[in-house]
Amino acid sequence: MTVLTKQPPGAPAPAAAGGTPRIRPSRRRKQRSGYLFLLPWFLGMLFTVIPFFASLYLAFTDYNLFTEPNFVGLANFQAMFEDPRLIQSLKVTFIYTFVSVPISLAVALLVALVLNRGLQGLSIYRSVYYLPSLLGGSVAIVMLWRYIFGNDGIVNGFLGIFGIQGPAWVTDPQFSLSTLIVLNVWTFGSPMVIFLAGLRQVPGMYYEAASIDGASRWRQFRSITLPLISPIIFFNLIMQLIGSFQTFTQGYVMSGGTGGPADSTLFYNLYLYQKGFTEFEMGYASAMAWLLLMIIAIFTAINFIASKFWVFYDN
Amino acid sequence: MKKTANTPISRRLVLGAAMVAAGLTISACGGGGATSSGSGGGNVELNFVFWGDANRAKMTEAALRIFEKKNPGITVKTEYQDSAPYADKLATRFAGGNPPDVLAMANRSLLEYAQRGTLADLKSFPELNLDKVPETTLSRGEVDGKLYGLATGVTTIGMVVNKTITDQAGVTIPDDKTWSWEDYAKFATEVTQKTGGKVYGAGYDVATETGPIMLARQRGEDFYTKDNKLGVSEKTIEDWFQYSVDLRKAGGYPPAGFFEQIGGSPAQSYLAKGTVASQIIPINNFRGYNEAVEGEVVLLRIPGETSGERRGYSADPTMLWSIAAKSKHPKEAAKLVDFLTNDAEGAAEVLTQRGVPINPAVADSITPKLSADDKTFVDLMAAIQEDDLPPAYVYPKGASVVADTLKQLTTEVEFGRISPADAAKTFMEKSNAAINK
Repeated sequence: MTVLTKQPPGAPAPAAAGGTPRIRPSRRRKQRSGYLFLLPWFLGMLFTVIPFFASLYLAFTDYNLFTEPNFVGLANFQAMFEDPRLIQSLKVTFIYTFVSVPISLAVALLVALVLNRGLQGLSIYRSVYYLPSLLGGSVAIVMLWRYIFGNDGIVNGFLGIFGIQGPAWVTDPQFSLSTLIVLNVWTFGSPMVIFLAGLRQVPGMYYEAASIDGASRWRQFRSITLPLISPIIFFNLIMQLIGSFQTFTQGYVMSGGTGGPADSTLFYNLYLYQKGFTEFEMGYASAMAWLLLMIIAIFTAINFIASKFWVFYDN
Repeated sequence: MKKTANTPISRRLVLGAAMVAAGLTISACGGGGATSSGSGGGNVELNFVFWGDANRAKMTEAALRIFEKKNPGITVKTEYQDSAPYADKLATRFAGGNPPDVLAMANRSLLEYAQRGTLADLKSFPELNLDKVPETTLSRGEVDGKLYGLATGVTTIGMVVNKTITDQAGVTIPDDKTWSWEDYAKFATEVTQKTGGKVYGAGYDVATETGPIMLARQRGEDFYTKDNKLGVSEKTIEDWFQYSVDLRKAGGYPPAGFFEQIGGSPAQSYLAKGTVASQIIPINNFRGYNEAVEGEVVLLRIPGETSGERRGYSADPTMLWSIAAKSKHPKEAAKLVDFLTNDAEGAAEVLTQRGVPINPAVADSITPKLSADDKTFVDLMAAIQEDDLPPAYVYPKGASVVADTLKQLTTEVEFGRISPADAAKTFMEKSNAAINK
């Protein structure tokens, strides 16, 4: 992802320079070194591409990690329809995604807007808010989260000041998922940094013109800021959506690998992992991976279609 | 000037990024483990893995140095983890075709591995002497006449009570030779009352299968039967859940959501924190608990041993030693298992870390070296085995799903989301499905 986000500033430039159909030697040399720099990535791709196709094959087998896989046709996919834990894992993942993604995007945008107002020491604030994103998926932070939301943690300690007996955030199946949603929202840093970059691209003259015309701040935000950064919102939305569909670490660490309490944090990928590595049904797990890919593809496609109505490309 | 409002992110880029990100799960799934082997020269290097804490590792290493001295040309490289990550890592190593030579196996996982042909038959090695091992112990690692796991030692479960707390509260601990489950409930409730709710009388783990296994046996049922099926009745499971619900209602057991333990060591237990007065433990860990808890901890028998239909106790393998079928050095691996089982000098370093040694001569030889707490464990183990205990059998394939199911349903019952009766029904369905698959 980092590779890709760094690519764009260079990409449109040659097109903008435009008009030279023939490739000059100096340019060819540049291309060559470009590919050379990409070489490690291509080599790394081998480790992705081979397992990628291996799992496609395994999805149609009864592979159990130990003995040779046998072809079973669509049996794995059929079994999924009758698997209550799979349905539960989809439910958990959907709730998590559809609640946490919009909230974290809104928070990220809000903080980016505040930081974009030319604060002193911007880089410090930016780092402070970005830090949780670097840590959010890490084991240590999830452990910390367990303590913060634990029965004797600071959250219930704070509620206790007001005489409120806080619930068992981590062990009560009613609350455990919301605790993880809060954790995910807290890690709004990476979309925020991208928003901030986008906001900086919006030319100040638009706002000057708007305020001369007497547009309110809200009006300026709605009619200038939002349309101009809509591709960035779109990008963040897609990336957050995909990331959130693939959540694993948070659920794994929070529940000690079980997806508990009572399967309330059984994320799709966590269940996939359990199927593959604790129940040794790697064929089924591979089929699950492909189902997830299809689900993500469908949601991404829907978003791309919908984007025609709200994303504004000013070029 | 015209291009200043040009946004840095194009439609095509979003699509590309989305495709890459979406593909990550897929490839994470199909990945195989890289293999590496580390034996060089004429020297054989065995890879030996087990789960446990640093203390267990230290004692094990000391024993292995003796093994290496007695067997020149063999070196042993060990790895250890906590039990949960250990189970995960073991699975991936077998799957990647790079299994360890000698490994510790949990009762509930043995047949999952054995019936997939990944473990060697220990009876096929002349290097491993099994003459001194009792038949009842061997049977716990056997299936179809082949021995896939050999007990590292034997243990069972017991009740530990913080006597300092109960003394201060003025509650007498009932006689554990004759106490019933009702007596335990009454005792636990009294502790909670007399400590003003600061300490809960009972803190045993409802979700660990050893509890209901014991209850089933006391009622004349085999939780797992001789022919590797589920033998426990739905009623027993329902009663096991109902007992905890009633005890919680009476105040003897902590409220829902109270247990949120992160680690499994005695030091992290609620008994050590002083918020519960009693707990069920595998009794080979008694020493660890007595050292971690402030105050005096006493080791008792599980309730219901004389009030039920028959004895629930059995001498169970603490864990099992297995040898991978694909081990490149099976002979040397068998030598190591023989050493771990039959060598008194080695046992003197490990003592009762993994239960009472299964070779009686070895067990006798280490008795003088035991600390008071370990001696308490060994004595109770011996006293229990003086009685006529019904036989127990190897855990069937699917036993780890049974364990997970119990854990999940325990939470559902704890928070009142389903009744004990419904939980028992679901338990039977899911467990039977997993075992009969």
